[in-house]
Amino acid sequence: MADITRRNAGPSALGSRNCDDPRINYKEVAYLAKFLTPQANIYSRKRTGFCSQCQRELKQAIKRARHMGLMPFVA
Amino acid sequence: MKLYEGMFLLDNQAVRENWDKAKASVTDALAKHGAKVLTARHWEERKLAYPIKGRNRGTYLLCFFECPGESLNQMRRDFELDERVLRYLFVRAEALPQGELEKSQAEGSAEFALPTPPVDERISAERAVFGEFADRPVVDRARAAAPVADGGDAAEGEEESVEAPAVGEGV
Repeated sequence: MADITRRNAGPSALGSRNCDDPRINYKEVAYLAKFLTPQANIYSRKRTGFCSQCQRELKQAIKRARHMGLMPFVA
Repeated sequence: MKLYEGMFLLDNQAVRENWDKAKASVTDALAKHGAKVLTARHWEERKLAYPIKGRNRGTYLLCFFECPGESLNQMRRDFELDERVLRYLFVRAEALPQGELEKSQAEGSAEFALPTPPVDERISAERAVFGEFADRPVVDRARAAAPVADGGDAAEGEEESVEAPAVGEGV
């Protein structure tokens, strides 16, 4: 049971971060790319482990990067 | 007056011709609507994640400028019409990032040389617009018509002489 919970939560490495991380910015393409699935979907909050505010900023940053042609909509 | 960050995706063709001119076209458009451009610099030249207006590569220009919020929409209209600007993005900035001013000023110095953007290999802009028709041989009608007119006089004379007896035989 514990294993299933862990699997659902995803790798905790993505989750440990501080909320002032300046890397959540549309210009940090290499960092943002870590939060995309192979098909370029944005990972859910469950998977990223972000707080709601951070997840919203992440979403905004990825969408800005997509608009500028820095990141794919689909891959 | 609020501080904004502007990112512009410029057509590599315009950059290849003259970077300073391409940059000026953006900063002039900003200044036209009452913006005070603090910095403007070459951010990156890179392959795009997906083709935009038939281009697979583009050059990014990063600007920081102060302007009244109302003029942003007028700027947007200008950049929509400018064919050199493929995409643009305005974001509110809290403060000018550290080192941004220095990087921008370094571009103005004499030793700054922008590497020529590499050639866009995958598909041409024509191909994106015309699809398979771009692969067909180009027929320039003006040029194709000229030789016919030149040689036509001589050829017509011959044809007439050949045709005349043929008509006579028929009659």
